[in-house]
Formats: sequence, structure tokens, C-alpha cells
Amino acid sequence: MSTQRAPSSALTAFVVASRYMPVFIAIGVLLVVAMIWAPATLGSVPLRAIAPLAAVLAIAALGQMLVIMTGGIDLSVPGTMSLAAVIMVGVGQQTDERVLTAILIAIGGAAIVGLVNGILIGGLKLNPLIVTLAVGQVATGAVFRYGRSFAVQNPVPTGWSEWVTTRIVGVSAVFWIGLALTIVLGLGLRYTTVGRRFQAVGANPVASHAVGVRVNLNQILAYVVAAVFYAAAALALAGIIRRPGAFVGTQYLLAPIAAVVIGGASLTGGQASAVATFAAAVFLTGLNQMMRIMGLPTALQFVVFGLVIIGGMLVSGDRIIRGVEYALRRRRHLDRPQVQTERGALDGTREGGA
Amino acid sequence: MQRSRIIGVITALTLTAVACGGGGGGETTPTTTGTGTEGPTGTGPLAEFGESTDADPALIEKALGPVEPSDEASWNIILAAIARARQDVDQATIDKAMECFNNQECDTGTGGSIVMGYADGGGDTVNVWRAVSHMEAILQALTYPEIGTIVSTEANFDPDPAVHANDIRFLITRGADFIVGYPDMGVAIADAIKEADEAGIPYASFSAGWVGLPDQEGALIPGEDYLTVVGEDLCALGQSFAQVLVDGVGTGKVAVLGGTPGNALSLGWQRCAVGDLQAADGIELVNPPPNEDTTTGDTSWYDPIIPDVYRGLLTSDPDIKGWAYEYSDGMHTGLQVYEELGIPVEDLTVALRTDEQTLFCDWAERNEPTYNIFYSAGGNFQSRVGVTAAMLALKDASVVPAEIVVPHVMREVTAADCDPDRVNPYVSGTSLVPDEILQLMFAN
Repeated sequence: MSTQRAPSSALTAFVVASRYMPVFIAIGVLLVVAMIWAPATLGSVPLRAIAPLAAVLAIAALGQMLVIMTGGIDLSVPGTMSLAAVIMVGVGQQTDERVLTAILIAIGGAAIVGLVNGILIGGLKLNPLIVTLAVGQVATGAVFRYGRSFAVQNPVPTGWSEWVTTRIVGVSAVFWIGLALTIVLGLGLRYTTVGRRFQAVGANPVASHAVGVRVNLNQILAYVVAAVFYAAAALALAGIIRRPGAFVGTQYLLAPIAAVVIGGASLTGGQASAVATFAAAVFLTGLNQMMRIMGLPTALQFVVFGLVIIGGMLVSGDRIIRGVEYALRRRRHLDRPQVQTERGALDGTREGGA
Repeated sequence: MQRSRIIGVITALTLTAVACGGGGGGETTPTTTGTGTEGPTGTGPLAEFGESTDADPALIEKALGPVEPSDEASWNIILAAIARARQDVDQATIDKAMECFNNQECDTGTGGSIVMGYADGGGDTVNVWRAVSHMEAILQALTYPEIGTIVSTEANFDPDPAVHANDIRFLITRGADFIVGYPDMGVAIADAIKEADEAGIPYASFSAGWVGLPDQEGALIPGEDYLTVVGEDLCALGQSFAQVLVDGVGTGKVAVLGGTPGNALSLGWQRCAVGDLQAADGIELVNPPPNEDTTTGDTSWYDPIIPDVYRGLLTSDPDIKGWAYEYSDGMHTGLQVYEELGIPVEDLTVALRTDEQTLFCDWAERNEPTYNIFYSAGGNFQSRVGVTAAMLALKDASVVPAEIVVPHVMREVTAADCDPDRVNPYVSGTSLVPDEILQLMFAN
């Protein structure tokens, strides 16, 4: 008996661990493809250039991850990010002394967007898909209105841009900040009571409620913290590109969700890995850069990007677990009739012999 | 019962709103009842339509540079448009222009019956060029007392063509008598533009906004399916770009960039530029060349995307010596990638269409003798030409050619092209919007 269970447990442990593994395999594949078709992608200078962009996506994706862990989804990311970036330009007024004020207002504005999302979803139990889309539209409307009051192509304050593009050990400060946030969030979710409770709420809100956990408050907080992450990502991005314009968040509707999903998170809530999400953000940014270096037409870039996300979804999360379970069940199922047949044959022999 | 009553009331209100919504699509006889800003009295070949072609030569030079006139029909309309581009606008006009700029719909106060529709695939909050072109169209409309209402829509580069098409359809139902716009989505919104035409609403695109180039599948034919397209001879523009690069680079790598994927402006000049570049000895084009439907180097004219495109090209070919692009300010954005990748901005020739001050002042500041920029003109004023062409068409469509060719000439940037006191560095030097209005548009 025990000799049969040992390999099964090892296999299960491997499969569970592999929940977050596809993204690392994908990075490996990307590296091989880049080495063959676009070796310039792997130069230290280009890698340093895209590192902050990967970190920006990672920060936004970490916010999305928190929401997805509660079983929700946040489609207000573009509006929230655009709002934060346009506030940095508008309030910043190209004056370094106004940077702190701009940051505080941007984060505050984003937090309000998150709070509205949270109250409507966590408090009033409205559908997150529709609510966040609608709230995102409201935020975009605010961007429209506010963006008309100044030259929307104005740059962020020089001091902010210089700070954001500062390099530490040769790599952008934004990258290190993104990495640090990832590690802190990952450790926090895993090793703190709050973090574990947060995961429990996502995995089983009914049971959590039964044991006295304030599920609604957790959900509301998830949206608020997520919005602050989006604002942080937008502010970093604004500093990197200097002139973010009014719609800098537009490109961040799908990518953060893709990063979370490719990173192995369960869309039904509960399990997710900050490190795998960060890795997925690196993968997606690297893929994007590689396609441009390869000179793929824009239409094809969209197709490849979409297919990779679909592929990522197919192999990520608990699909591998389910696939292996299905294969094992099928094998047992196939084994069973064989035993019966053997028994039947034996019986037949007996009968025949009778 | 109650629901059907509500539906009945809504239907009645809708019908009433539609009935009161303007002059109707088929109206072609403008009524001059306005007492607002008057345009010039008619002189010259378009006098019978109330247009003067006696444009201020200084304004022609400002908008276009030292060009040779294009064909007579086109040139007359261009002159008529510039003749209305007064720079000494009064406070009432400034206030009205700002009201129209800031609101989707405005009453010009003239009592005119004509409703002007302005449909931009971009938008005032997307980039400054779009905002300035919008204002040019508003100011032009305010010189026609017959125009009583201006309705503006903007699709903000939404990737969904339906959003752009819906803007056109909204203007149709709103009772626009003509529509001026830039169709970023090209053939993807052909149906909506054709619906406007079939409703008797002339559609004039500017900035060479062809609704599909003539040999593109699904393309509309200007003069038949829509009123006219205002813009440069795209092939000639592309050849001018190529010539600048061939002369300036001599031997080396060059790249071409475009705007929104597949847009007719980029596609039109890229096809001809790429042909000439590929035929030139010593020039190596690093982009995959565009085909008949696909542009190359798509930046969407959008700051967050532009650096990605430059990065993609410069990563594999850091020794690019020449760029051809429509968008001067986009080139300025791209230069930050040179800094990112540690590539010096030298031994570089750039061929551009627009003339935002950001790049030119940056060029002056760099003071690098091996870095040279050539440009033609920003083209914001072309929206004015669209308005004038449409107003002419309401009187007699036969005077408006299917293509209003705006002449161009390539000019080399000099220190004089940087005006540090310009109201806003992102505004083209060739715009005809008076400074007082630009100041209000970009108050911060």
C-alpha cells in the first residue's frame, strides 16, 4: 500500500508546485526564441531599457492579483492609471516642488476609485466585471475633463522623471521598487496572519465568513490597495516616458490580467503568487519587445500576444493538476476493467473447467 | 401597461428631438442670418460663393512655407480658407471658440441654420495636434454666419472601429449638414461615411485622411462616396522624404515610421518613400516594407507607444542614420530612447511632416552639426480647408475637387525655427490659430 502512495504523493507535490511553473518555462522558451531570431533582445542595454517597463506592468499586475485573489476582477485599471498619470502632469505643472503634492493627490484619487469599486462589489455585491468597467469609465471621464485644462502633452516634473530613471546597480530604480514590492507582498501573503486570512477569504468566502472573518472588508480593501498599486505603476510609467498623455493606462487593460493568469493565479480566487506574477510581467514585456525587434507587423503582434495569453491560460494554474488527475483517473479506469477481465478469464477457466 | 406607456413617451420625445435636431441631412441651401464674425467678402474666382481668394501671403507662407501652388481648383479653395483665417480675432470670437472647443455642441450665436459636424478619430485630450486642428476648424466655422451649430466628436484612438463609426452616425442623426474630420480608422468606417453621403451630408477629410487609398480593398472614392480629401499628394510627400534621406544619409541604414496601423496618410507616403529608398544605392531600409494594406513602424502617433517602436528598431540597428516620419513631436519623444540605449544623437538625418517646436528647440540646444532635420508643414490649417470646401459644396458641389491637393515643400530646420516664446512648445509653428486662443486652450 505505502509503496504505491509514495510516488503518487511525490507526483502530486510536483504538480502542485508546478502551478506557478509554466511562466518560468515560458521565459525559458522566450530566451531560446530570442537567441535564435532576435538575439539583439538579449543585450544588456536593451534588457536594462525594458526592465522598468516590466516592473511597471508587474506593479499593476500585483494590484490586479489582489483583486483576483478575492474572486473579483478589475477593469478600471486603464482609467485609474490614466487618472494618476494625468494628475502628475496637471498638478505637477512641470515644477519639482509640486511632485509630492501630485503624488499624494494621484494616489488619493486612485484610492477613491478603488474604494468605490470595493463598496459596490464587496459591500453591495454587484458584479465586479460591470462595476469596474463602469467605474473605469467614470475615471476616464474625469481624465477627459481634467486633461482639457492644460496641454496634455506636457511632461511630468523633471525631478520626478530624473528620480524614476535613476539607475541602481545599472538598472532602473523602478525595477528594484517593483521587485521589492513583489517580495514584500509575497512574504506578507504567505507568512502573516492578515495575508493568510486574505487568501482564505478568496479561496472560500463562505467558510471565512463562518469563522468570523470580515469578508466584505477584505474585498473592499483589496480594491483600494489594488488601485494604489495602479497609481504607483502609472506614476512610475509617467516618469519613464516623461509625457504620459491622457490615456497612458489604455494599454493596461489586458496585460495585468494576463500577467496574473499566466502567473498561475486561480481566477476563482484564493491562490496566487506574487513572484510568478512578476515573472509573467517580465515575460510579457520581453515578448512585446522581441516582436518589435523582429519587425512583426502590428496586426501580427496583436495576434501573437493574444495567442500567447491564451496558451498561458491553457497551461497555467490548476489546469495541469486537473489534467494529471484526469490522466490518473483514466489510467485507473482503464486498469480496472483489465483486472475484471483477468478475473473473468479466471472465472471462465473455472467455469470451463467445471 | 406602465412599461409600454414609458416606451411611448420615450419614443415621442426621441421623435421630437430628432425633428428639432437641426436642418436635416439633405439641406443644401444655407441661410445667412448671422450677425457674428463675418468672413471676407467675395473676390476672385470663388466670389459667387461668397469666398475671397485674396489670402494674406504672410499667412500662406506661415501655413505652407514657400510652396508652388497646386492645381487651380485646389489652390483656390486653399486660398479661400486661408483668407478667412484672420489673426485679429475679437474677444467675443475667442470666447465663442473656447466654448465650442470645450463642449461637444455649441450655438455659434449667429442664428445660422447649418450644423457643422466635426469627427476626430483622435481627440483634444489625445494630442495637441488634434486639439489645434479642431480649433482651426471651429475658428473657420465661426467665420460663416450660416453655421449656427458646431457639434464635435472624438474617438480618442479607440481601437474599436465601431466607436469611430458611431461618431459619424451620431452626427448624421444629430442633423449635421456637413462633416469634417480625420478618419483614423480608414476603410473600417467606410460604411458610416457612405451613410452620411447617402443622407446628403458632405464629408470632407483633412490631413490626407483618405477613407482607404484608391487601390485598397473597401476604399471609398472621394468625389463619389464622400466629398473630398484635403491633403498633400502623399506619393510626392513620400518621395520628398526619401530624397531627403538619400541626400542626407548617403550610405547607411534608415527607418520609416507611421501613425495608427494602416492609416491612409502613413500608408500613402510610405509606399512611395520605401520604393525610392529601396532603389537608392547605399541605403538600407531596416523596417519590413509596408505592403498595399499594412503600414510599417506603427507608432499610433501616441507618446506611450512611440518609445517602444524606436526601442525595437534601435535595439537591433543602433546605427540608423535616417528617419522618415510624419510627426515631429513623436521624433522628439523617440530621442529619449537614444538616451536610454546610450546611442549618441549624431550623424542623423530626419525627414518630417509636422513642425512641433519641441523637436526643433531640442535640435537647436544640441547644436550637433551632423544632425539635420527637414520638414514640410504641420497641416493643422487643413481642417479649415475642409470646412470651406464643405461650405462651398453646400452651394455647388461641382466646385470642390475630389482631392484638394495641398502643396508641400521640404525645409531644413534652422535655429530660427525654434521659438522659445511659443505659447506651447507642442503646437506646430505653422498653425494659424492665434496665440491668444492657444494660451486659453492650454492654460496650464
